[in-house]
Amino acid sequence: MKKYLIVLFAWFIFLIPANSQIINKEPLSLRQTGYRIDAKLDPVTKSVYGTMEAFWVNKSNDIVPDIQLHLYMNAFKNSESTMNRESDASISRKESNYGWIDIKSFTDRNGYDLIPVMKFISPDDGNINDQTVLEVHLPKSAVPGDTVFINVVFETRLPLIIRRTGYNDDFFFVAQWFPKFGVYEPEGMRYAAKGGWNCHQFHANSEFYSNHSLYNVKITVPKEYVVGTGGMLMTESDSDSTGKNKTLTYRAEDIVDFAWTAWPGYAVFTDQWENVKITLLLPKDRIEQVERQFTAVKHAFEYYARNVGPYPWPYLTIVDPPSKGARSGGMEYTTLFTSSSSYMMPESMHYPEMVTIHEFGHAYFMGILASNEFEEPWMDEGINSFWEERIVDHYYGENSGLLDHPFLKFADKSLGRLSYVHSGGRQDVSNSEYSWNYPHGTYGMMSYDKTATLLYTLMGIIGEETTNEVFREYYKKWAFKHPSGKDFVNVVNEVVPRLNGNRFGRDMNWFFDQTLYGTGICDYKVANILNNKIETLKEKANSTDSLNKNPAVREAHYKSTVELERVGEIMLPVQVLVHFKNGNEVLESWDGKSRYKDFVYTGTREIEWVKIDPEFKIRMDVNFVNNSMTMNPDNVPLRRLTNKLISFMQFFINFISL
Amino acid sequence: MKILTSLKTGMLRSMKSWKGIVIAWLCSFLLASLVAIPMKSALKAGFGNSMITEKLADGFNVEAFADLGASFRSLRSYFSSGLFMIMIIGFLVNSFLSGGLFNSLKGISGTFSSSEFFRASVKNFWSFFVISLIISMIILLMAILIIVLPVSIASQSESSPDGGAFKTAIIVTSFFLLVLTLLLLVADYARAWQASNDNNACFKAIGFGFRQTFRTFFSSYTLMLILFVVQGLYGWLVLSILPGMKPVKEGGILILFLISQLFFFIKILLKTWRYGSVTMLMELDNSKKAI
Repeated sequence: MKKYLIVLFAWFIFLIPANSQIINKEPLSLRQTGYRIDAKLDPVTKSVYGTMEAFWVNKSNDIVPDIQLHLYMNAFKNSESTMNRESDASISRKESNYGWIDIKSFTDRNGYDLIPVMKFISPDDGNINDQTVLEVHLPKSAVPGDTVFINVVFETRLPLIIRRTGYNDDFFFVAQWFPKFGVYEPEGMRYAAKGGWNCHQFHANSEFYSNHSLYNVKITVPKEYVVGTGGMLMTESDSDSTGKNKTLTYRAEDIVDFAWTAWPGYAVFTDQWENVKITLLLPKDRIEQVERQFTAVKHAFEYYARNVGPYPWPYLTIVDPPSKGARSGGMEYTTLFTSSSSYMMPESMHYPEMVTIHEFGHAYFMGILASNEFEEPWMDEGINSFWEERIVDHYYGENSGLLDHPFLKFADKSLGRLSYVHSGGRQDVSNSEYSWNYPHGTYGMMSYDKTATLLYTLMGIIGEETTNEVFREYYKKWAFKHPSGKDFVNVVNEVVPRLNGNRFGRDMNWFFDQTLYGTGICDYKVANILNNKIETLKEKANSTDSLNKNPAVREAHYKSTVELERVGEIMLPVQVLVHFKNGNEVLESWDGKSRYKDFVYTGTREIEWVKIDPEFKIRMDVNFVNNSMTMNPDNVPLRRLTNKLISFMQFFINFISL
Repeated sequence: MKILTSLKTGMLRSMKSWKGIVIAWLCSFLLASLVAIPMKSALKAGFGNSMITEKLADGFNVEAFADLGASFRSLRSYFSSGLFMIMIIGFLVNSFLSGGLFNSLKGISGTFSSSEFFRASVKNFWSFFVISLIISMIILLMAILIIVLPVSIASQSESSPDGGAFKTAIIVTSFFLLVLTLLLLVADYARAWQASNDNNACFKAIGFGFRQTFRTFFSSYTLMLILFVVQGLYGWLVLSILPGMKPVKEGGILILFLISQLFFFIKILLKTWRYGSVTMLMELDNSKKAI
């Protein structure tokens, strides 16, 4: 009887919130998983003590004998964890600063003790010292439609901030802190050959992959602490009669992870974008950054809503951590993200705006469109970087999005491109690797910069409006699901021919095979301009003029040739602008396939200059210098530069001498 | 009153020594050109006939330069070694020329004579060089002690309050500027004393510099602070005008050249004014003692 009552109670807890809507009118996702957590932060022991009731619904047609959970805080448990092995920087950390998650009790819906049937597994590298993935054999396999309930009591010891989680002094950023289900992928989902859990270990170079879930989280902290979370505040009350602690209850729907922060020094500001309430937590000394943060995030809201799709939650929390928590800056948890500004950040430097726009973008690319960050990191970081660069440069200056100073201007897209084109490892690997397999430190360059640059190149070829339409369609089709890279390419292959006919071929696989899944580089070059004079006799125009003793006038004719070369392996269609001395211009199209290409013109006009890709649309081209050639180089910019260099050096000499 | 007289006389004497200022300007121009002109040729060769230089219309363009590839890397190392070279040579040349300048700013100096200027430069070179070197070393040491160490500690400390490193930097830099003013005063007094003495006695001169600075602290320090503020304001003016000038025609380049050189000429004039004012203050003090 008692067992039945427990079952009934569990159903009551989970099914009611799952079916009753509190934040949105309709569920946004399938909600295969849900969590009810009661957590208490102890700032002295740097620990979170929690009890968790969670469920997973088997929506596949498989009979599933086990469940797998992430215990990511264990990545910081010992020096032999996979994360520590992969990351040299972490090894030197003092043992007292390590973090871990300790399971105190683990039962199923019937109160059956699951601790004896749980074991740590290492599906990625077989590392027996890694305890970041837990496998639990169910007493009874989950048949299709079954819901598996678990009750866990855990203690999470937070590490000194590492990988954007942990504590420093009285600052806490609590992420990866509770046992979280992996994703069960049935056969066919993300092109999986057979059904199974997708639950990777914590790696040095990787982020995460989770189901869209329901969260009901109670957090108890000392009263003086200011708390920010990825949920919506439901209630706040004194937690005990002493009045020293307070308990805050949050609810979040359809997000992939739940993180929170607590620090007594936060100042809280709020603003609104359409129906979204924006809460900003930042140090009291950094109030001059408030307007900048709100403006940046509103730009992002507007741009995404117009070009991709709506932001579906009515709230957002931005955390700008203090200096002591700076290492938790620049991370995303869908409805909460951390930015990274600093005291007295100059107005001309748009770094905080860039971080805010980037982290906000993750609400879309992996928050809503929940791709697998372990297996296809380019789908979140790369696509998101592409949008971040577009937004930053759109609102803060096409040539000065990142830095707008009289001495130096720098576009966000330029930073992305340069990081890729001047990387020594740009040809080491393609984007088909799992995140932890990128060699020679190429993970960041490949997943962020190369992807953003290749998407800019795609936009250069298919046009801005078609690109936006691709993303609108991608959002429409895959929001609150788990798309794979192939699914994204399929959307491109569907939208581009629909809007452009066969202009770019039947599909765009030729583009992705070379740029995303290939290792070649793109480099087009103007090799030479030739203006060969051919003198021809032309009948004198006015032959009736008997006084003219010269029966014919000589007019210069030329055979003018532009010699082009494809230096790199990647073949992309490019435009070539040819300018003649008489002011005429011809815009040629070259499919870019052959190694060499000549454009020949005969007539009275000489070629003055030639530009391949005159609007710099093919941003994957690794060398823009050789993309153009002129017969009359303009030396004014170099003279001006020399002039300023001389002045700089004169003032420098004067400065250093007494 | 003494301060105003010194400032006024210092300005008049530095105006009279305009030929010396022209010599100093010419030397620095030649020295800077020594690095900048070959650099321009290397850039010209790197860009070749490319039209990427259009991207430089708005100023320095990182993307255009980075795409030079290996040439850019060579240019970068050439620039840093060039800067180091002119730092060394510039220091030596300025030690040499300041000997002549201080000599021409003395009260007993009549009209400016180039031969006298160079004779004094040669005579004072070693002691001026040693004085400049020692004071520069002290300044460097002070910069490390006053600025680098506290700011490093503040920025490394993760438990320091928000903006702690920035606030520390502002406070310690302000303090350093006050110390710098003092050390420049010592250097100027030392060189003014050396210029008015026939014997080369650089250590004695430095000793005199320190003594004179602290003996006449109020008037000397006030005078130096005024000059420092004027120079600082001038530096701000130059920085707010020159970088913004982006001529696109040949004629504009010539105007930019003339304006930037005029700015630099005034900068040397201001420095000479400082030399002249300190010299005058020393002479006023000496004459008072003599009475």
